[in-house]
Amino acid sequence: MTRTEREQGKKKKFHSYYDYSLLFLTLFLVCFGLVMIFSTSSYNASRNFSNPYYYLEKQAIFAVMGTILMIIVSKIDYHFYIKPLPILHMKPVTLLYILCMLLQTYVLFFGKEINGAKRWINLGSLGGFQPSELSKIAVILFTAYIVNLAPRRLDKFKGFLRVVAFMAPLILLVLIPNFSTALVMGCIMIAIAFVASRKKLYFIVSGIFAAGIGTLFVFGVSYRSTRIDVWRNVETHPKGYQILQGLYAIASGGLFGRGLGESMQKLGFIPESHNDMIFAVVCEELGLFGAVSLIMLFVLLVWRLFVIAINSPDLYGGLIAAGVLTHIAVQVLLNIAVVTNTIPSTGIPLPFISYGGSSLTVLLIEMGIALSVSNQIKYER
Amino acid sequence: MARNKTFNRRNILIIIAVILVAALGLSVRLGYLMIAKSAEYAERAEELHERERAIKAERGTIYDKNGIAIATNKPVSTISVIHSQITDPEKVIDVLSEKLNLREEDVRKRVEKVSSIERIKSNVDKDIADAIREYDLNGVMVDEDYKRYYPYENLASKVIGFTGSDNQGIVGLEVAYEEYLKGIDGTILTLTTAYGVEIENAAEDRIEPQAGNDLYISLDVNIQKYAQQAALKVLEAKNANNVKLIVMSPQNGEIYAMVNAPEFDLNDPFTLTDNMLINIDPGTLTAEKENELLNNMWRNACISDTYEPGSAFKIVTAAAALEEKVVELDDTFFCPGYKIVEDRRIRCHKAGGHGSQTFVEGIMNSCNPVFMEIGARVGVTNMYKYFSRLGLFHKTGIDLPGEAKSIMHKPENIGAVELATISFGQSFQITPLQLLVAASAVVNGGNIVTPHFGVQVKNPQGNVVKTFQYEGATEVITKETSETMKMLLEAVVSDGTGKRAYLPGFQIGGKTATSEKLPRSSNRYISSFIGFAPADNPQVIAIVLIDEPTGIYYGGTIAAPVVAEVFDNILPYLGIEARYTETEKEEFEIGSFQMPDFLGLSLEDAKKLVKKYEFGEPYYLGEGEKVVEQFPLPGETINRNSDLILYLE
Repeated sequence: MTRTEREQGKKKKFHSYYDYSLLFLTLFLVCFGLVMIFSTSSYNASRNFSNPYYYLEKQAIFAVMGTILMIIVSKIDYHFYIKPLPILHMKPVTLLYILCMLLQTYVLFFGKEINGAKRWINLGSLGGFQPSELSKIAVILFTAYIVNLAPRRLDKFKGFLRVVAFMAPLILLVLIPNFSTALVMGCIMIAIAFVASRKKLYFIVSGIFAAGIGTLFVFGVSYRSTRIDVWRNVETHPKGYQILQGLYAIASGGLFGRGLGESMQKLGFIPESHNDMIFAVVCEELGLFGAVSLIMLFVLLVWRLFVIAINSPDLYGGLIAAGVLTHIAVQVLLNIAVVTNTIPSTGIPLPFISYGGSSLTVLLIEMGIALSVSNQIKYER
Repeated sequence: MARNKTFNRRNILIIIAVILVAALGLSVRLGYLMIAKSAEYAERAEELHERERAIKAERGTIYDKNGIAIATNKPVSTISVIHSQITDPEKVIDVLSEKLNLREEDVRKRVEKVSSIERIKSNVDKDIADAIREYDLNGVMVDEDYKRYYPYENLASKVIGFTGSDNQGIVGLEVAYEEYLKGIDGTILTLTTAYGVEIENAAEDRIEPQAGNDLYISLDVNIQKYAQQAALKVLEAKNANNVKLIVMSPQNGEIYAMVNAPEFDLNDPFTLTDNMLINIDPGTLTAEKENELLNNMWRNACISDTYEPGSAFKIVTAAAALEEKVVELDDTFFCPGYKIVEDRRIRCHKAGGHGSQTFVEGIMNSCNPVFMEIGARVGVTNMYKYFSRLGLFHKTGIDLPGEAKSIMHKPENIGAVELATISFGQSFQITPLQLLVAASAVVNGGNIVTPHFGVQVKNPQGNVVKTFQYEGATEVITKETSETMKMLLEAVVSDGTGKRAYLPGFQIGGKTATSEKLPRSSNRYISSFIGFAPADNPQVIAIVLIDEPTGIYYGGTIAAPVVAEVFDNILPYLGIEARYTETEKEEFEIGSFQMPDFLGLSLEDAKKLVKKYEFGEPYYLGEGEKVVEQFPLPGETINRNSDLILYLE
């Protein structure tokens, strides 16, 4: 057997991996999300639009679209993002970063205001699009890219600051209208840097420092400190209504819940229960068992992403997977923490479950990227 | 990360660990909320979801002495609409406005109002409600309800009182016994959405209402009817302002009848009666004025109005004098038609004076100078001692709201003149009921009774829940005085000023009065009479007050016959049998005999036979010579002096 033959034979033994578990977990969560959206929104939908399927239909369109995009993206080698494009002489990841910067700037001035925050770009009949969703992908890909350029630098605090310097403009642009998304982005950025770093001390030190700054910031800005008040006195504060209604919903679920579709609190007591508060209705209808099962599903999802991350063919892929992992985990944890009034309220949707077209589509694309990382794993049969 | 460094894996593992710890922490938090806090929050959520609809408790019935319902309930319905459930608003508006006799725009406003439930009309008669239910209109609710109903309409209206829209007592016994009558409202708890729309098929929590207890009172519908009739008759005949009449048992204070003529219709208590609108143009009536008039109309003057009792009060003065032994029955007095007290010349009602008379005659003549004299003998302190004992300083304690207090001089302000006027019932005011209670004590052997209606409360199953006990002072005057007074007052009726209250066979005692209303010069009077029977063992006592009669205003002339008329009806009804004295039998031809047989007799023979018996007036009908029919029939027992009818052929 010649060397070439051996090489070929060896090559033949390696197969492309594809994480079907992750794919099906994702699809399951999306379907479960649709069920819960129908359950939570049908009352309000028939009240406001005389069509109980109003929200379900819209979300389903985005779910199908997102799933298709996910599968397409999952077949694109993630190295494509960091290879310069032929004509533009730019890397797609840089392009994405610049696009997000532009969109975030645009939305800051011309965005559609919903519930007092300018976060949406009006897309007419398609509804609104939140560029900050896309920015999350940008943060994952771009941070991974920057870190991957010189991973050794992360061993020093200066190296971390370099990463921050690259990411800060985008995160700050998001921070202005949307604190919670910026927080998620920050977490993603730090997590990716953390994974690449050999040293942890400066993370701990700067973590404490950041926590101090954050606290000052939270108590400094008036509307956020109202949120603190609400958080502490949720039962008496007039603005605690929504959270309190969520707590009522959670608590009335008990161990096994009222049964799917039987929630009382969704009947107008929790405003827009299909949005950020959907987990409360999950608790009310499916009980502690249902809620913990859902958490377990997310843990399983995170576990699959972890497996992809540690098996990824290179550091870049691992960092992307770690970023996606962090994104999902942080959003799930923050959402549940808000709904259970564990932390002050901030508007974070529950991934895959909460209503929101752009959020779901972008999440599915993100999962596509994670799947594409998995697809690059070669294994020996 | 096959080609990655181990520290990368370890770092990710750290992140995973942090995530798992956080997830576990949140699960614990969830467990705390959903297990430990579950009951508390779920209950509060439930409160939020539930809407209470009250189910009115059926109000207890009020029964009279004979167990006849005088205040009861009639099933009525409340018609409401539920906006979200209406499918055909035009038809709903049409049907409701037509059936309920409401203006279409009013109904339309309510039907088209976006609210969870809108009441269209309450107290709708059952047949109308049933007719509406027949249409089976979506979104129209017919709720069964009760409405207070008074079968005797205006009978004892100011005593019984009526209820308001929430079935709560407003005046009279309905207020006084509210706690027994009202019952406990039930509730229907239904689940609603945040917008108040009821959720169909949701399990209803229902707390059944508890019907109120039934009240049994001493009032007797029949006696009240007789009394009310007599009062109305004299009210019209004398064109008086009003007539008050109370019939009571002097032994235990049970009130059999209390009339405030004119009465009002209890089933329509918010409509002013004609007498309230005299000299008032209904068009110019302000809401405030109307309210005032309504309150006046509902006012129970027997207990809420005070007056100068006048000569009837001589009962009290005489009793005090006898108790203090400052007068003997055969003491003689002289009445020149006035008495000089200090610098004042106080007249007797008889201008020429009664001349020389005994104490007994003084009472029978109702002679003022006699009473001024004995009043002076008793003195202020002792007089007030008996006033106090006879309950004239405090309320009688009747179980009705709104009882007035007497208005009396302070003892230190009473000089000889005041004492003299007090002695014959002037210069102070008491309620008619107070006088009745004082007179009862005088004739019943010296016991103060608490006048009352309430006797017993029974629950809807018919078991006695409460029997009311009424206590009063005993032996406020001695038995001897009481016996003497009964004899004296019987003499007033048999031979004195009260002789128009005389009823053969019934020993009636009493005292007349004619009180001049203030100011004295206005020539407005209250004629009154207080009477009781039988005089030796009084079972019933009555007082009548005729306010501002026109024409003759003497109590003896116009008030005494009213009591006589009532007694004539109710004494046999109460089982008090007539006991005629020999002279009465003589005088009033009392007795009975068997009807002889006239049939077949010739006219001549018949006339002879008639003479042998004590018939009243014989009537011969027909032109013939032979009796073919007779009335009363042969063999019947008939009263002496009865008329006879014979048919001739």
